[in-house]
Amino acid sequence: MFDSSVITANASLLWQGLLVTLLYTVATIASGLGIGFAVGLAQLSRLLPVRLLGRIYVEFFRNIPLLVILLWSYYALPIFLHVNITKAWAGYLSLSLYIAAFYAEILRGGVEGIDPGQVDAATALGMSAGQRMRRVILPQAIRRMLPPLVGQSIIQMKNTTLLSAITVPDLLYQGSYVSSFTYRPMEVYTAVAAIFLIILVPLTALARRMEGPHARAH
Amino acid sequence: MRVPTDTPAILTIENLSLRYGTRPILRGIDLTVDQGEVVVLLGASGSGKTSLLRSINLLTRPQSGRIVIGGEPIFDQSEDGIDRLRLPAKKIEHIRARTGMVFQHFNLFPHMSVLRNVTEAPMIVRGVPRAQAEQEAHDLLRQLGLEAHAEKRPAQLSGGQQQRVAIARALAMKPAILLFDEPTSALDPELVGEVLRAMVALARGGMTMVIVTHELGLVFEIADRVVFLDAGQIVASGTPADILLSPAHPRVAGFVARFHESIDMLKPFLQIA
Repeated sequence: MFDSSVITANASLLWQGLLVTLLYTVATIASGLGIGFAVGLAQLSRLLPVRLLGRIYVEFFRNIPLLVILLWSYYALPIFLHVNITKAWAGYLSLSLYIAAFYAEILRGGVEGIDPGQVDAATALGMSAGQRMRRVILPQAIRRMLPPLVGQSIIQMKNTTLLSAITVPDLLYQGSYVSSFTYRPMEVYTAVAAIFLIILVPLTALARRMEGPHARAH
Repeated sequence: MRVPTDTPAILTIENLSLRYGTRPILRGIDLTVDQGEVVVLLGASGSGKTSLLRSINLLTRPQSGRIVIGGEPIFDQSEDGIDRLRLPAKKIEHIRARTGMVFQHFNLFPHMSVLRNVTEAPMIVRGVPRAQAEQEAHDLLRQLGLEAHAEKRPAQLSGGQQQRVAIARALAMKPAILLFDEPTSALDPELVGEVLRAMVALARGGMTMVIVTHELGLVFEIADRVVFLDAGQIVASGTPADILLSPAHPRVAGFVARFHESIDMLKPFLQIA
């Protein structure tokens, strides 16, 4: 028997968890975009060492499971550096650095997908490398990048649930806490799943709509 | 048709060589283009004519040789690869801005209006104020019969219209020389004429032009000189009639044979026996 009073009685605990989840989602997407664009541009650099550094960053964070990065930065990194890292910082940094690797790849792919004739035309007109990037390449690349950026950001919101592994009180952590004293995992986890669905289904639909006209235009 | 006189050279190319890896593309090219002269580069595909054109403004960087545009050296590199100029990027961009280029696939900026396509480079590269850049762009678009399309996006135009916008975009930089890379090859046959007419008008107006094309009608109409490339070398150079109607070099003869039918059709119009 589904007892919805378990949810209503503990709504404020779940609400707090949801706020933490949203906060980490927005904050790590914002800083991840900044880092990701820097790394993506590094990957496109004319200088081999810079390109290599960008590549190493991407391969490093793409090929370690996020859960491992989280646990390592919270439990292992402090021992290496002899510093204390709060779980909030460990979670924020791990999620930001992790998603930045994917944003960097989206940027690189978006820029490399631009017709080389565009660069030829801008170059022939006497534009500098910076002007070519800002005026000609990025405005076109960003249009192509928007759907995958939204898609990756949706994955990021789901990935915040891994924060519960280092006891950051996100929505999932709060859910398991409520479940631990109510002994009603069915209601609680169903509610947690429903909250994600309610938030992410419209966003996914939006991302798909953005892909639609774009796909037709090319 | 103009006879080359002792007007100053706009473009001088000396002993230019280009390789992709170990494959030679250009081998010791010498070419001088005078003020107001129209030079057509002919040759089979793979003969190096597009590479030569792209080397002029360093879209493709050759291995060795010398290039001077409007009296300013833009490239000077020894056989063993020593850059004698060591120009900063800014200087190369500055010289490049004095050459206009029109591409086979137009390469218009799809995210900008037709007007912005024409005003963008004058504004950000030459620092022309917006009002003046737009005034000049409208004038150019009118000259090319495009005034009705200024606010449209390139994708809304036909190929012929797009290529004329590309010509306007190149002219807006007030170039000393215009480079055309097969400007009509990507066009539907019925759209070729409007682009050719624009090019004829430019040539009649005294524009210095280097053109890679297979449009023999255009060659006879506006070329002061035809330069024939084979395997990266200039094997023949002269007036269109000299080169195409009585080819001396076997490679040229072979090339021309493929076009003989069209040349025969043109002969009556060319007042040539």
